[in-house]
Amino acid sequence: MTDLPHTNAAPERPAGLSGITTDWASDQTAFKNVSWGKAMMWIFLLSDTFVFGSFLVAYMTARMSTVVPWPNPSEVFALHIGGVEMPLLLIAIMTFVLISSSGTMAMAVNFAYRRDRKKTALLMLATAALGALFVGMQAFEWATLISQGVRPWSNPWGASQFGASFFMITGFHGTHVTFGVIFLLIVVRKVLRGDYDTGKPGFFTSRKGRYECVEIMGLYWHFVDLVWVFIFAFFYLW
Amino acid sequence: MYFAVILVILVLGSVAFHLLSPWWMTPIASNWGYIDDTLVITFWITGAVFAAVTLFMAYCLFRFRHKEGSKAAYEPENKKLEIWLTAATTVGVAALLAPGLYVWSQFINVPDDAGEIEVVGLQWQWNFRLPGEDGVLGTSDTHLITSDNPLGLNPDDPNSADDVIIEADDLHLEIGKPVKILLRSIDVLHDFYVPEFRAKMDLIPGTVTYFWITPIRTGEFEILCAELCGVGHAFMRGLVLVDTAEDYQTWLEEQSTFAELTGAGSIKTASRSGP
Amino acid sequence: MVEFTPKAAGPVPPAEVPDVELYHPKSWWTKYVFSQDAKIIAIQYSGTAILIGLVALVLSWLMRLQLGFPDTFSFITVEAYYQFITMHGMIMVIYLLTALFLGGFGNYLIPLMIGARDMAFPYVNMLSFWIYLVAVLVLVASFFAPGGPTGAGWTLYPPQAILSGTPGGQEAGILLMLSSLVLFIIGFTMGGLNYAVTVLQCRTRGMTLMRMPLTIWGIFTATVMALLAFPALFVAGVMMLFDRLVGSSFFMPSLVELGERLEYGGGSPILFQHLFWFFGHPEVYIVALPAFGIVSDLISVHARKNIFGYRMMVWAIVIIGGLSFIVWAHHMYVSGMNPWFGFFFATTTLIIAIPTAIKVYNWVLTLWRGDIHFTLPMLFALAFIVTFLNGGLSGLFLGNVVVDVPLSDTMFVVAHFHMVMGVAPIMVIFGAIYHWYPKITGRMLDETMGRIHFWVTFVGSYAIFFPMHYVGLVGVPRRYNELGDLLFVPPSIADLNAFISIAALIVGAAQMVFLFNLLWSLRHGKEAGGNPWRAASLEWQTPVTPPEHGNWGKSLPVVYRWAYDYSVPGAKEDFIAQNDPWPEEPERAPV
Ligand code: HEA
Ligand code: HEA
Ligand code: CUA
Ligand SMILES: [Cu+2]
Repeated sequence: MTDLPHTNAAPERPAGLSGITTDWASDQTAFKNVSWGKAMMWIFLLSDTFVFGSFLVAYMTARMSTVVPWPNPSEVFALHIGGVEMPLLLIAIMTFVLISSSGTMAMAVNFAYRRDRKKTALLMLATAALGALFVGMQAFEWATLISQGVRPWSNPWGASQFGASFFMITGFHGTHVTFGVIFLLIVVRKVLRGDYDTGKPGFFTSRKGRYECVEIMGLYWHFVDLVWVFIFAFFYLW
Repeated sequence: MYFAVILVILVLGSVAFHLLSPWWMTPIASNWGYIDDTLVITFWITGAVFAAVTLFMAYCLFRFRHKEGSKAAYEPENKKLEIWLTAATTVGVAALLAPGLYVWSQFINVPDDAGEIEVVGLQWQWNFRLPGEDGVLGTSDTHLITSDNPLGLNPDDPNSADDVIIEADDLHLEIGKPVKILLRSIDVLHDFYVPEFRAKMDLIPGTVTYFWITPIRTGEFEILCAELCGVGHAFMRGLVLVDTAEDYQTWLEEQSTFAELTGAGSIKTASRSGP
Repeated sequence: MVEFTPKAAGPVPPAEVPDVELYHPKSWWTKYVFSQDAKIIAIQYSGTAILIGLVALVLSWLMRLQLGFPDTFSFITVEAYYQFITMHGMIMVIYLLTALFLGGFGNYLIPLMIGARDMAFPYVNMLSFWIYLVAVLVLVASFFAPGGPTGAGWTLYPPQAILSGTPGGQEAGILLMLSSLVLFIIGFTMGGLNYAVTVLQCRTRGMTLMRMPLTIWGIFTATVMALLAFPALFVAGVMMLFDRLVGSSFFMPSLVELGERLEYGGGSPILFQHLFWFFGHPEVYIVALPAFGIVSDLISVHARKNIFGYRMMVWAIVIIGGLSFIVWAHHMYVSGMNPWFGFFFATTTLIIAIPTAIKVYNWVLTLWRGDIHFTLPMLFALAFIVTFLNGGLSGLFLGNVVVDVPLSDTMFVVAHFHMVMGVAPIMVIFGAIYHWYPKITGRMLDETMGRIHFWVTFVGSYAIFFPMHYVGLVGVPRRYNELGDLLFVPPSIADLNAFISIAALIVGAAQMVFLFNLLWSLRHGKEAGGNPWRAASLEWQTPVTPPEHGNWGKSLPVVYRWAYDYSVPGAKEDFIAQNDPWPEEPERAPV
């Protein structure tokens, strides 16, 4: 009963390309030593990529096909501090926050595999905190934009699609982050309780908990960050 | 066993239906005979394939039906055969595609001598606009739409004044004159469809689409809407009449321009050049 | 075939694959209602799909009544007619076929055919069904909502879809429809992840990819396609909800509706069409590929002959799946998009005919030199080949851009997609039910009732949809609740329409025989035994029939060969089960 799923993996295979194909086509598993949970997360992320992809493509077509001019991002998203305009300052901070949260997450995964519960939990909490901070700043940005009169159906500076697509896409991404934070907290709790050492079954799923859950959580988190980078590029830098 | 018989009947029946039934495309009234030709070619090729495959199947069913003690052959693959079949099919596809794309390239390239007219669709009627003397259609914008400017023409545009407006009435076309039909909608999607012309195209609010035809026979033809546009969709009808040059002129005389309709600008009813 | 036999491998004790910790139901509720057993979930999915499918069937009667006998039925108003076609189309494609093929057959067959104990994530699998059920309920709710369901056509094209000129456009109809779709997509994604992971990672020892039955290949490819295609619909749906609820203008240009200006401006209706069809075309293959796979197995089993050209079949499925993502704009030839796209999309569209052709040929060639038993599943399988061939060929008219111009949006299109989607895959569904019912219930379906059902459905639906092509050829547009007095339409068309309608009613009635059979045979069908068709694939080799929770008893089966070893020379029987080590002896008899 070792924890490695594929102790009985098929015999040695030819090298090179044919090796890869044989591997793929072999019995039992297409991806060797990839657990079911991880495979599921990867496939889900692939699907989610198509969701965000469609959103961004729609946004681009909207932006390119409108007749009225598009609001100038560097002004719209500028932060006014003591009278001086700081273009993109807030966004820069938000992006920084999110990226660094990826860093803490990666470290958490690392410690998780060393079975270091305390450090893992702390780092994940840090990740969650950064995520929450990000959502907070996003809420702040929404508030400012709304106070400046940006609405899904109109805005002071030009094409109405600006507001609509901005709220829709950042909103959708923000939801992803929020869910991420929630799941992080759940996993933290399990880590602290030591479920993953004892292999305590999940409440709903009745599946043995394994430290891999932390890594799977991490995959999702990194994906959300990656998506943000694209949103950042398309909304703020274009 | 009966299955084989039924299949044979099916093929014969379908072919008979195709040849004998009275239902076929309406007599064409535009230059797009090519489209009909391509369609007929497609009928032959696909029909042949349908008959061939189905009859072969029928034969198999009859010949290899289960009998006491009969046993199936064991042959996983037959590369050679499969390659041949693939090749043959590829030829078939090419034979369909080549004429199709050739005609399509004609369909999307409007001849330079084509006159322009505009079709404006709205729930649920057809309106038309001819460029008038200057042969140029004035600009338009949905924001300008009012009760006495239903098509939203731009009054400040000099080209608009002499544009001929036909509101919810018949459209006339001159025989033998290629015409580029510009399509504009002021509410939802519609589709300008005259079966005898074969061509059809959607009207998209916010965009101007087009296609071109040359009427080749005089007569009255019905304009249908072929894109679901609400409860009036099936009743969104109009008439297009293809006239000889003289009839066309006389008809054109009777139409009124944008200027006349809005009262603005001088009355001009002198001879007008059509599209 | 790839004869890689895991020599050392005896039967795999369950614990050897650690992720298999089955949830063991503790109460009646968790066993039969909130069950995590893929087989129960499959039955729940199928039942729901069939019930809602019957609603769509009844709607099709009403539509046909209206078309066949215009202004006889006063209650079928114009609004009602458009609501009928919309719900009919949407239910049939999404809530019946997609759900039944993937949620129904996928759940039942995947674990059994690849020798797994259950889906990879039983809990998520359960959620998937319940969310699907909610989606269906929301859909049904729209029938009772003020203003009724949406009448925008199943393509839901804006601006029309959310304006007052369309039934349900300004009322709840369209909102409920969009919400239901969003729910369906979420639910499906949960299921889809399961199917994909299970096929990829949970196969039993010896079950290589190239030994999987084509059924699995079809369902698997369709699932992956769905996971990549549904997002486009999801996004389109969310954006349309925005336009309708918060007044954004993604799809809405500035327009004047019935005399009054609306607040919208600057949006692009074409964008919706691209999003919709980027989902829509793959979708039609999502309902076709499982049918392709299943029918291959049916033919092979009942012709007692291996499927011809297995590798080609697999590659064809995969290639069709891939290509179908780059043909979507063939639904938009006359939509006013840039006409130059026509060249590209016409070419890709017709190229798809080639792999599809290979499949058709291989089905027929499987019959060649076979030992054909005309059992019920076989009858339906054969009917599938004919009707699919017919419908596919009419697709070539539409794919060839310039030929599509006169035919687009006419009844010809309707005839095409019914023949290829409304009849062919439905035939497969029936065939599959006749084929696997014994495994699911332990009893055979009644033969006589089955034959009546078959002949009426097959001949009937051909009689419905073959003549319909010619209605379209004459030029009758689709989505017309009545023709009125069209100058170019000969009066005889009215008679043809009446004929079609009568045929439709008869065929519909025949479905009731089938439903009765389903219920009647539960009790009175004759005992089937474990493997009534003497089939080789794994699901027929379960220790008990119907299979219990966990499928395989103590230890998983070991697979030694592909699923198509029929009439192998020298073998003792005319089939060799996949887990039969013949010619060698098994180390340990698979329990
Ligand atoms: C199961 C569903 C299914 C399948 C499999 C297909 C298969 C095909 N469809 Fe169809 N289609 C639909 C469902 C389906 N379709 C639906 C639902 C719509 C309408 C949506 C709506 O508007 O409401 C539609 C509409 C539709 C259109 C848009 C028409 C219009 O609105 O104007 C087009 C145009 O290209 C098209 C083409 C094709 C083609 C080329 C194939 C090909 O894949 C067919 C390939 C198969 C064969 C060709 C037969 C076997 C081949 C041989 C035996 C080889 C010999 C052949 C040669 C001579 C080359 N279909
Ligand atoms: C799988 C999809 C499917 C199926 C099975 C059907 C089945 C039928 N359809 Fe439909 N139809 C569509 C998909 C389908 N349709 C779509 C997508 C549209 C477009 C909507 C739109 O334009 O927006 C449409 C539109 C449509 C129209 C065009 C309306 C118009 O444009 O004006 C018509 C008109 O005759 C019609 C008729 C019928 C008939 C008579 C049947 C049947 O009665 C045929 C005979 C019956 C069978 C072959 C048996 C079917 C079995 C079941 C229904 C499931 C029950 C399940 C079990 C018991 C297991 N349908
Ligand atoms: Cu206008 Cu349909
Ligand atoms: Cu398509």
